[in-house]
Amino acid sequence: MNIASHIKYFVNVQVGARSYIRLKRRQGARKPRIPLNWNTKCLAPPLKIDGLTKELIALHYLSGRYADGRKSVAWVTSGAPVEILQALGYYVLYPENHAAVCGVKRKVVEIAGEAENAGYSRDICSYARTDIGAMLSGKSAVGQLPKPDLLLACTNICQTVLHWYRVLAHHFDIPLITIDTPFIYTESSDADIKYVKRQLEDSIPVAEQACSRRLKYKKLQDVLKMSKDASELWLQIMQRGRHRPAPISAFDQFIQMAPIVEMRGKSATVDFYAALLREVDERIEKGIGAVVHERKRLLWDNLPIWYRLRYLAEYLGERGIAVVASTYTNAWGELAPFMDENRPIESMAKTYIHPILNRSTGSKLETMKKMSEDFHLNGVILHSDRSCKPYSIGQIDQRNKLIREYGIPALLLEADHNDPRSFSEEQTASRLDAFVEMLEN
Amino acid sequence: MPANPAALGIDVGSTTVKLIAVDRNGVILWHHLKTAEPRVEPQVDNFFEMVSKKFGDVSDIPLVATGYGRKLVRQAARQITEITCHARGVYQQLGHGGTLVDIGGQDSKVIIINSSGQVEDFTMNDKCAAGTGRFLESTAGRLHVDVDQMGTVALAAQEEAPISSTCTVFAESEIISKIANGIAVETILKGLHRSLISRIVAMIRSLGLIPPLMLSGGVVKNPAIRSMLSEETGESVILPELPQLMGAYGAALMAL
Amino acid sequence: MKIPQRKHIIKEFKGQGGKVAAVLPIHYPRALFRAFSILPVEVWGPPGIDSSYGGTHLQAYICSIVHNALSFLKTGGLDEADFILIPHTCDSLQGLGSVLIDFVRPPQQVLTLYLPRSKGKTDYEFLANEIRRIYNRLSEITGLHPDDTAIFKAIKIEENADRTLAELYSKRQMFTLDNLDFYRLIRTREFLPAEHFIDMAQSVLSLLNEEKLNGVPIILSGIVPEPMEVMSALNEMGACVVADDLACCGRRLYQSGSSTDPFQRLSENIFSAAPDPTRGDSLQDRIDYLKGLVNKSKAKGVIFYDVKFCEPELFDLPDLRKALKGEGVPSLTLEVDINDPISNQMLTRIETFMEVIK
Repeated sequence: MNIASHIKYFVNVQVGARSYIRLKRRQGARKPRIPLNWNTKCLAPPLKIDGLTKELIALHYLSGRYADGRKSVAWVTSGAPVEILQALGYYVLYPENHAAVCGVKRKVVEIAGEAENAGYSRDICSYARTDIGAMLSGKSAVGQLPKPDLLLACTNICQTVLHWYRVLAHHFDIPLITIDTPFIYTESSDADIKYVKRQLEDSIPVAEQACSRRLKYKKLQDVLKMSKDASELWLQIMQRGRHRPAPISAFDQFIQMAPIVEMRGKSATVDFYAALLREVDERIEKGIGAVVHERKRLLWDNLPIWYRLRYLAEYLGERGIAVVASTYTNAWGELAPFMDENRPIESMAKTYIHPILNRSTGSKLETMKKMSEDFHLNGVILHSDRSCKPYSIGQIDQRNKLIREYGIPALLLEADHNDPRSFSEEQTASRLDAFVEMLEN
Repeated sequence: MPANPAALGIDVGSTTVKLIAVDRNGVILWHHLKTAEPRVEPQVDNFFEMVSKKFGDVSDIPLVATGYGRKLVRQAARQITEITCHARGVYQQLGHGGTLVDIGGQDSKVIIINSSGQVEDFTMNDKCAAGTGRFLESTAGRLHVDVDQMGTVALAAQEEAPISSTCTVFAESEIISKIANGIAVETILKGLHRSLISRIVAMIRSLGLIPPLMLSGGVVKNPAIRSMLSEETGESVILPELPQLMGAYGAALMAL
Repeated sequence: MKIPQRKHIIKEFKGQGGKVAAVLPIHYPRALFRAFSILPVEVWGPPGIDSSYGGTHLQAYICSIVHNALSFLKTGGLDEADFILIPHTCDSLQGLGSVLIDFVRPPQQVLTLYLPRSKGKTDYEFLANEIRRIYNRLSEITGLHPDDTAIFKAIKIEENADRTLAELYSKRQMFTLDNLDFYRLIRTREFLPAEHFIDMAQSVLSLLNEEKLNGVPIILSGIVPEPMEVMSALNEMGACVVADDLACCGRRLYQSGSSTDPFQRLSENIFSAAPDPTRGDSLQDRIDYLKGLVNKSKAKGVIFYDVKFCEPELFDLPDLRKALKGEGVPSLTLEVDINDPISNQMLTRIETFMEVIK
């Protein structure tokens, strides 16, 4: 840590960038800017908070650019128990989120191409290819990424992250903490939870050494409390989707979930979701629906298709179809009740073993069924994501059971969450057409 | 009767069959190329009849067979892959190593040739039509453009319509959609060429380009391929003489 | 050399009152099952079957080993098995286990085994505990309660079999068995009761030659050498597979443990094998191991023979190849679907590779 880095950070981020971004946001709030080709006939205007979301994310990445020499940097997986690192003052970066931003900004083919040229197969997860491509080439959609001092991978989302992060550990020559969460085929056992707890305990000295600091118990409790508060607010926001018309769509949620994934444990995140909840309630009061003439309501299963969000929102919106919930965004809220700042490590072990991706295919089906009932849904779109085997395996049976046993129309849509080369617009349109016809009958 | 050849090389490819006779210095005495017929053995026998008519009895002359159908050439003393043979042929012709790109009807290859003419590394796209000449042929067919004119038409385009599909079948539906939207044929054709070239360039990058860059195979007749390959790699592209015969030539040299 | 057929071995074992467990890749405690008089019979595919039944539950981008296992089950291939054990090796096997338990619901008892992904004390104890959990489950189902002595008896035999396997490998170049025969022998460890395997291996070891085996020495790395035709193709091309880093074979040279607690001992065994990306080893571990294997066997090249879609293998490939290249060792990558016959294209690649390394 040196003075020069601190000064650079202060001047560039705290003073310069912050003021600029804040100015832009205020300008935006004064005259809400609706993007040029926004289909206002079928979709509600963008959320007012969108400006703040962009600000938070921009500042987050910007402060990352000036992190070297100033803060210890950790790259972590989206489901990782990040609270320990937050409490230790790490700057935390999520390669998955960065990859998603590249996806939204249509830069994946170029960046993943760098990994593919280096020999990484097209058959591996597109998030991993984007990230490895970014690491090898320095290319990014958000400016320079700070080099990590530590890696943290938790297997509660998939096993792929292990292989991915070992590649990163090898390239950066830095320690990798793995938190291995046994998969829940039926129920989690005490032995499983104890195993996760012990790994969390074992990880503390490693994380401490990489940043030369000691973990303060009280700080960990505070961070966990904020994680819990933000998660609970997020859960409430998603629950508002039960209203008819739904005030926000799953597509909105995909964008607005960024802070809960990337900045979980920070007070700014709690404030953010409190503000979003207020805006959502305002929409409910005014009867504003995410889709202007909501006639049918759907659930989205699996990751978003990052490079075609608007296309899908409009395609369905034009037909009065609102995607009001998703198992994916729900994942970051449904675990809030497990978190307990009075027993941080123990409750973290319970929390992080239970995300939907670490639970059986049968449990996922139950979740879909329950959400369909709670949110009064007419059907389910199951995105068969080529890059995400843990989420995608089981979907064929889930789809069949939804249709045949629960009478819920369901569509299996083949694509990839980040790689547009695995997406066929023509095929998708024809399948959606057929599904829409099914919904009408 | 002309001087007896010292060695023979035959390249039994999927689209064409080629035979070359060389003298003991590796100079080409005679060559013959014909469209590949479905039955390999009778066609090969035919070739031998022709070469015998020219030079007399060639049964003692060492022969190496290469190409897709090499195992069916019973007259051959040895069978060697077209990768090794192409490298050898091009090296002899041009006098140096480098990166050789061969885009065939059924597959495409990038071969790194070292300074002694040996294969140092190679990669092939042999699983999927989208990286081969077949991709252009079938998609150009959709656009009702003559295979021989494709390259010229593509180069004449001022703009380029990007084709995002990696699969030939999907690309066809993309093309139909673009035609329906009134996009010009040459614009689409240029995009298709770009698609193919991007795949080739990715293969080159995966090995690491060692200049000079050389091109062989039937597709060299397409001016757009050479031009766009040069554009994307920033290297000038060298063509050996008789680019379609390099496999057979290399085989003959290996037989010497 | 006569290789017994799986179905005969199974029939014989069941005829003696034993049961059979169909076991999916990769690591599991063989001895535990033997202590319960259950013969573990491994399912690596099998290759060359109609895999369309798998497609009714699994998408096309899941590997052919998993597709085939499910198809095999659905077409009655596992009817002789009383149990199906699915170790938690990768996302696809995780999914298969879950789909079997929740949706397919086969008549066999489905057991899962979670394998830790690191190798510290915490992980080692977790695995010992997980193996104990399987013991409890098997007790519940069979009504048997083999004591420590019984388990150790089985452990000793398995450790002996593994030592014998290691001996076969270390003396590979002294056999005149060709690639296909040698690997068919090695792979009997997948289904032959350990004591049979020891007998068979000893009889082969007694045929040792003083002559060295001919052929250009190469190493095969990957998950499983299917289709096995590749071995015949390598024979024809004059290549000799002198060592391997295959998850099915050389990566499972388990070493004898030292603990006197049976579950800890079994845990030690599993941890002792060669570096394996599915089990928690770093890239550097794999690189060091592969380099060591090349040096020891004097191999001239490495062929990575991988089943398509196998992420644990695909992530490590570029760095492994780079490290080998740095040592002047050429390598080739091949991707297979275990149901497809070896294509001309693939044979050409292997041939070219042999031309390069000769």
